[in-house]
Amino acid sequence: MMVPVAYNLRSLAVRRRNTIASAAGLALVVFVFSTVLMLSEGIKRTLGRSGTDGVAVLLRKGSDAELNSGIDAAQVGIVGGSPEIAKGPDGSPQIIGEVAVVLAQPLAAKPDQFSNLSVRGVPDNVFAFRSDAKIVEGRQATPGTDEAVIGKAIRGRFVGMELGESFELRKNRPVKVVGIFAAGGSAYESEVWADIDAVRSAFGRLGGISSMRVRLESPQKFDAFKARIETDRQLGLDVVRERAYYDKQSEGLSLFITAMGMVVAVLFSLGAMIGAMITMYATVAHRRREVGTLLALGFSRVSVLSSFLLESILLALVGGGTGALLALLMSFFKFSTLNMRTWSEITVSFEPTIPIVFGSLIFAGAMGIFGGFLPAVRAARLSPVEAMRE
Amino acid sequence: MNLTKLAIRNARRNTFRAALTVLGLAVAVIAFVAIRTVLTAWSIAADYAAKDRIASRHKMSFVIALPKHYVDTVREVQGIKEVTWLNWFGAKNPRSPDSFFGSMATDPETFLTVYDEVVIPPEQRAAWIETKNGAIVGDVLARELGVKPGDKISLEGTIFPGTWEFQISGIYKPSRPTLDRMSFFFHWDYLNDSVDELRKDQVGWIVSRVDSPTAGAQIAQAVDRLFDEKEIPTLTQSERDLNLSFMGMVSGILKALDVVSIVILVIMLMILGNTIAMGVRERTREHGVLRALGFSPRHIALPIVGEALTVSLLGGALGLVLSYPLVELGLGRWLEENMGSYFPYFRIDPLTAALAVLVCGLLGVLAALVPAWGAARLPVTDALRRVG
Repeated sequence: MMVPVAYNLRSLAVRRRNTIASAAGLALVVFVFSTVLMLSEGIKRTLGRSGTDGVAVLLRKGSDAELNSGIDAAQVGIVGGSPEIAKGPDGSPQIIGEVAVVLAQPLAAKPDQFSNLSVRGVPDNVFAFRSDAKIVEGRQATPGTDEAVIGKAIRGRFVGMELGESFELRKNRPVKVVGIFAAGGSAYESEVWADIDAVRSAFGRLGGISSMRVRLESPQKFDAFKARIETDRQLGLDVVRERAYYDKQSEGLSLFITAMGMVVAVLFSLGAMIGAMITMYATVAHRRREVGTLLALGFSRVSVLSSFLLESILLALVGGGTGALLALLMSFFKFSTLNMRTWSEITVSFEPTIPIVFGSLIFAGAMGIFGGFLPAVRAARLSPVEAMRE
Repeated sequence: MNLTKLAIRNARRNTFRAALTVLGLAVAVIAFVAIRTVLTAWSIAADYAAKDRIASRHKMSFVIALPKHYVDTVREVQGIKEVTWLNWFGAKNPRSPDSFFGSMATDPETFLTVYDEVVIPPEQRAAWIETKNGAIVGDVLARELGVKPGDKISLEGTIFPGTWEFQISGIYKPSRPTLDRMSFFFHWDYLNDSVDELRKDQVGWIVSRVDSPTAGAQIAQAVDRLFDEKEIPTLTQSERDLNLSFMGMVSGILKALDVVSIVILVIMLMILGNTIAMGVRERTREHGVLRALGFSPRHIALPIVGEALTVSLLGGALGLVLSYPLVELGLGRWLEENMGSYFPYFRIDPLTAALAVLVCGLLGVLAALVPAWGAARLPVTDALRRVG
């Protein structure tokens, strides 16, 4: 027969202070644990969402990032003739050649501090090619002018990054922000999209582009397209799937965050487990007489053991649940960090997922089991006669 | 019986609980030391930046190069001793394309004067200056690439396309942590002679050594004024500011780690506070007896604080002792292997160790405050009536 759960609940309620202290410790651990996972997930997803199935990125052979790559703009016409590329409504191939650069721009909050901002020089078909990107405020930039649109993630973070304000791409040549765009929460939202010719002339890239992107008729055509382009020695281009290109960018950063997070989580959980153990041992010590009575009444040792174990799990779940809830609040915050592949800032959010929330609760439960097991064994092994005599 | 003895006796009353608490605190101290060490290792670049070096780059972006003749203009500025220049090359080892290391083209002679912390045997130094495709590598990178002086190595250029052949002239070891041990330096001439017209005679950034560190900021301004009205303006910063601006970009992560290390302190406080509060509650009746015998509230409170201090300092000491092997050999080795270029010197700072002990002491006092206050204030009759 089981000892009623109400017994455990009321016992936790009676020793309110100890319960709160241990649960708060556990809550903090679970909070850190799930926040780290949410951040790592946020980085992976933000970059992951930047890649689209069926889109291929073309870079100069040997470069692994748009920033390092340089291609002759005339190649857009040559590559555009490949039969694997999907056609737009007007019958022209869906291909886009862009210039990717980095601009040192002062931060709005600390104008004496500069941070690197990704700037993309885009041709006029950019919104047609990236159908996920939509203007949410203002309007599109007029092609061939010193106008730009900015991603919503960097709005207000840098000086000049606000509708109607302007920034300098080169000396005495202000570029006006005329629109804010959203791009499905992808890394593009951390970019400035300016006119390709304005960027080219400011950054000394006349006649050149950094990369090309093409939309293929279907993702299956990728291998054929890659083979066609890469065997053409004259082009000297590498072809990668857009998804793979962005997944690679998230690797280093999320590896570091996950590793740090795991070191912290393991150490923290050890600490919290010991904290829970101290509380549970004290609980058992306080209730020797009660345990003796339970045993004398005929509850089996297994029932007593599981009762105390259950109490410890309950304690851990209360703490873990609180921690997980607090962590969910973090999804209202943004986090800016350096993308080590592009040397510029990327703004990500903490993204909760169902596996993370449940994983955190399971993690809390496990801490309860490990922290509560030894004290529960001690309770179960009490001699009823001796325990009641006290 | 003095206070210390009493404190220790009290802590030993429930040896098992005290031991568990010490262990819990030790674990928290390890986490604290690990995080603080990551933070200091990261900021070491700024802390150890050479004070007498300033760097100039394009004002708008590091991706735009400066004309080579700027070097000669900078050299004329008063207060500048020697000037060198570097270009980011972005080499990739074809055998392990994912491991990152810095590779720069520079002018060997001026480089070795400006970066005088580069220690290299004289014959290797001479060989480097003489060999056009010669290169020097940091000792850590040399181990990773598996090269020794005299070896040839081919690397892929990610910015400058193609396969580049280099001859390893020497292996350097910096005498101060102002330069990392993971970099690859080769002749700027070798690069410049092989690039197309558009990229010829360009330098990535210019590094100058100044006469006196205090004049650095003024000289930096003087340099920028020279080019302010030109088509290509510069931004000149001290090495420290340059490193700090890089760290500013990762400040999000650093701030998060900072917060986590404070969360640890709160967790420690809770573990310790819980233990002390339990012990005090169990002893309520004894405290009543002591008060009834005429001991003052101070006599009740002080041993409690002493007990908390004993436990917390023991925990701190144990944690610190365990941190050295765990943090330096475990985490440190992993970071050096996987992210060596970001954490060139991963060691526990003596200040971090001192901070950990100090924090333990403070937390001990803090954790004891509430229980001690409560016990000291409790009326004698209440205390005697209380059932454990």
